[in-house]
Amino acid sequence: MGVRVKTGRTLLAIALGLSMAVGAAHAGSYPDIGPLPQIKINKAKAELGKRLFFDKRVSGDAAISCATCHNPKEGWSQNQALSDGYPGNGHFRNSPTLINAAHKKSWNHDGRIGTNLNDQTREMITETYIMNMDMRIMQERFKQDPLYVKMFKDAGYGEPSNGSVRKAIPEFLKTLTSRGAPFDTGKMSGAAKRGMKLFKGKAGCISCHNGPLLSDGKPHNTGVPENFDVFLDPNNHQAFIAFTMFQGIPNYMNLKRDPGFYNITLDMADMGKFMTPSLRELKYSAPYMHNGTINTLAGVVDFYNRGGGKDSRKSDQLKPLNLSNKQKGDLVAFLESLSGDRLTSSEHVWNKSYPDEYPAIQNWQHARN
Amino acid sequence: MKKIMKYRHAVLAASISTVLLVGCNANATKESTSAVVKAAPAAATTMSMGPAKLEPLGPPPIPADNLQSPGKIALGKVLFFDPRIGGDASTGCSTCHEPDQGWAWAEDFSRGYPGTVHWRNSQSIINSAYYPRLFWAGSASSLEKQARSAARGGVAGNGEADLMEARVALIPEYRKQFKEVFGTEWPLIKDVWRAIASYERTLIQLDTPIDNYLKGDKSALSEEQIRGKVIFEGKAGCIQCHNGPLATDLKFYNVGVPASPRWQDDGLAQITFRFEQYAKGMTQEGYRKAKDDWGYYYRSKNSWDKGKFRTPTLRYVVYTPPYLHNGMLDTLEEVVDFYNRGGRMEDGSTTSFPQNKSDLIKPLNLSDQEKEDLVAFIEAFSGEEILVAKPELPDYAPLFTKAELEAAQEAK
Ligand code: HEC
Ligand code: HEC
Ligand code: HEC
Ligand code: HEC
Repeated sequence: MGVRVKTGRTLLAIALGLSMAVGAAHAGSYPDIGPLPQIKINKAKAELGKRLFFDKRVSGDAAISCATCHNPKEGWSQNQALSDGYPGNGHFRNSPTLINAAHKKSWNHDGRIGTNLNDQTREMITETYIMNMDMRIMQERFKQDPLYVKMFKDAGYGEPSNGSVRKAIPEFLKTLTSRGAPFDTGKMSGAAKRGMKLFKGKAGCISCHNGPLLSDGKPHNTGVPENFDVFLDPNNHQAFIAFTMFQGIPNYMNLKRDPGFYNITLDMADMGKFMTPSLRELKYSAPYMHNGTINTLAGVVDFYNRGGGKDSRKSDQLKPLNLSNKQKGDLVAFLESLSGDRLTSSEHVWNKSYPDEYPAIQNWQHARN
Repeated sequence: MKKIMKYRHAVLAASISTVLLVGCNANATKESTSAVVKAAPAAATTMSMGPAKLEPLGPPPIPADNLQSPGKIALGKVLFFDPRIGGDASTGCSTCHEPDQGWAWAEDFSRGYPGTVHWRNSQSIINSAYYPRLFWAGSASSLEKQARSAARGGVAGNGEADLMEARVALIPEYRKQFKEVFGTEWPLIKDVWRAIASYERTLIQLDTPIDNYLKGDKSALSEEQIRGKVIFEGKAGCIQCHNGPLATDLKFYNVGVPASPRWQDDGLAQITFRFEQYAKGMTQEGYRKAKDDWGYYYRSKNSWDKGKFRTPTLRYVVYTPPYLHNGMLDTLEEVVDFYNRGGRMEDGSTTSFPQNKSDLIKPLNLSDQEKEDLVAFIEAFSGEEILVAKPELPDYAPLFTKAELEAAQEAK
């Protein structure tokens, strides 16, 4: 299918370039954690993007929307270990929160999209096991919806087109920026402040989770165990096979682990590495890790306290931490202070209904298509 | 617009009419120059010379690189009925080619992939094995290629090769059968198409009244059918295009079918209409202006091919209403009336491309009796209805055991 250009290895070169630049900061001095920069937003475009984000007609069989897997009420993610898939299949990874996605430089747990959110949006819409949409049909659907025709025009895009869908949705994603997190407003509890000290000090989290997003934007192997449901449920496994087949992973039929960043480099040194996620807005987006195998933030802290998981290629930055229960509680309090408003009001959620049918274009015979 | 219609048998009044046999030679038409078709071997032998005639149907051509075997056919049958061969596991081949709807879909436009409607009438699978070019406008050159594009098309199966191949691989019964039939360790998607094509090559009908008649059983046709045959081959001139063993010359003509009214007033159909212009590689200007199905033009890009479609077989049509590429006519009586008016609908409307309309299509001046006889004769191309029990679909099963996964986890 001509339009289903998939984004693979080439884009990642760019992602790597970017993370190399960050990596220049040498051991011990890390980009400071702090508030996120403001992003300028075009209101008409973002409003259009909002309607699109919640619109099931963006998927091939018109059964799911972006919000199905990135649900505002579930922290703009899904409160289940493995994300839903397109109807007829499952998925093999956890659906990440989309709050602050616009501040990132590369996307997905393996960072395979390293260009821009426009490409990430296309990946979501056209990927077989996500939304399975032939964008040419999508475009014609929206040309058949009078409100879209008006909104695309008002946004300065002219007639609805798949190109402008891929611009408007990212504009909407920009509106999903952390707001009111105690960490940003200065209203942190005593426990959270103590936790921050541990985070930067004894617990060593800062070496990977740094900068305004609390992420170095780089892949690391932390030894997170596999989620066996990826393989034991054939609905999930089929999506995993399709994915690894497409990525060109050798012997993909026999793979029993998510290769992570190896997908991109095909270098065994990268096997099992995943992108350091942002630590913002995690309060409502449980479970955690690329495959949702850890249910709570306390569970994540326990995981690090044990020195991470088991993997011969695990990062040597991870060592048992010997934290007391009180220290673990403080660390969790700090992680929670990084979450703010849930962004579930109509400012961010399209609450109006969508038409059940497409009205016919009047005087079709003489109208220009 | 739900129109699940079954063929109504016409009441035939007995009367005798004499018709003149008009000389006809399908090769002496301007259409023959624009038709880039290679006839299937079975058809070719009988189409070569002399005035076109009807022939009994023999076995279908079998491609040397996809020979029939019982195992392959059995596998193809299950795959044909398996909706997992499609995007969201709801829409397989049999979804739009329902055995009890003539192995097609009994609405004007075929149902589409969920959320869409198709833009053409679904064609019967019965006897599709004989066509050298598949689809109304002949855009696929083998059943194997046809199956692949049907399963992937945005308003048809909307499936992707990688995911469909993965699905088949996770069904142990399929893995076993693919290994037996194709000898591969893992099922390959191209072999899915080959197995389906093999099954389709068994969906044929050789014992219709016309076959029996042409093979010498003069009692196989009724009185009126025999009269209808004379009209078909004479005054009505149908034989000029509907000839040979498949009752088609396999060429492309514009017989005067107008644009579907669905495009005037159905929003979902308008969406698919525009999508198809894109999908078929129209120019920007063509996309903006098209208001009808351009048919064979999409392949040839010659303006004189606009509105041309492949002459379809008349076999099995009793079970496959509605008729024509856009399903505009509900009954065979209506089709005969259409031809009798010189390729016009009841309201006088005709093709959007009148300059391309075949010279062979002219008002016929048939009497009511002649029309009835003709319909009766068309019925002689259909035998018993072909119905099959839907096969049971094999289940998915995990590929690995928990113990294997645990061992892999330990070995990390
Ligand atoms: C069927 C579930 C599903 C749907 C529908 C879906 N997503 Fe996703 N999304 C995911 C999963 C799972 C991931 C992580 C994928 C991976 O790591 O391979 C993801 C990743 C993302 C990311 C990257 C986030 C990050 O931090 O790296 C963005 C942005 C995104 N999706 C936006 C969208 C948009 C916009 C839509 C609608 C056009 C959408 N998604 C529809 C499941 C879904
Ligand atoms: C070696 C780099 C590294 C260090 C050090 C590190 N992390 Fe992480 N962190 C990661 C990576 C990589 C992931 C994603 C792993 C995965 O998805 O499999 C992650 C995931 C997480 C998550 C889950 C986020 C989500 O959205 O699922 C939390 C919470 C977290 N880390 C907190 C911490 C804390 C607290 C510390 C210090 C105790 C810490 N990390 C130390 C690299 C690191
Ligand atoms: C959503 C409905 C739909 C599905 C699903 C579908 N088809 Fe079809 N099929 C059609 C329509 C409509 C046509 C005519 C299309 C055209 O000419 O453009 C057609 C045409 C055909 C033809 C051509 C027959 C001829 O006379 O040329 C064959 C063979 C066929 N389909 C087989 C299949 C197979 C095999 C599958 C499954 C892989 C399949 N179809 C799935 C609707 C469908
Ligand atoms: C010039 C060649 C030509 C002649 C002469 C001709 N046909 Fe056709 N016939 C076609 C073509 C081409 C189609 C498909 C047209 C379309 O769908 O646009 C067709 C379609 C049909 C169909 C519909 C089949 C289906 O599956 O939908 C029937 C029935 C039929 N013709 C019967 C007749 C009869 C009866 C006559 C004589 C009165 C006749 N034809 C004369 C070329 C011809």
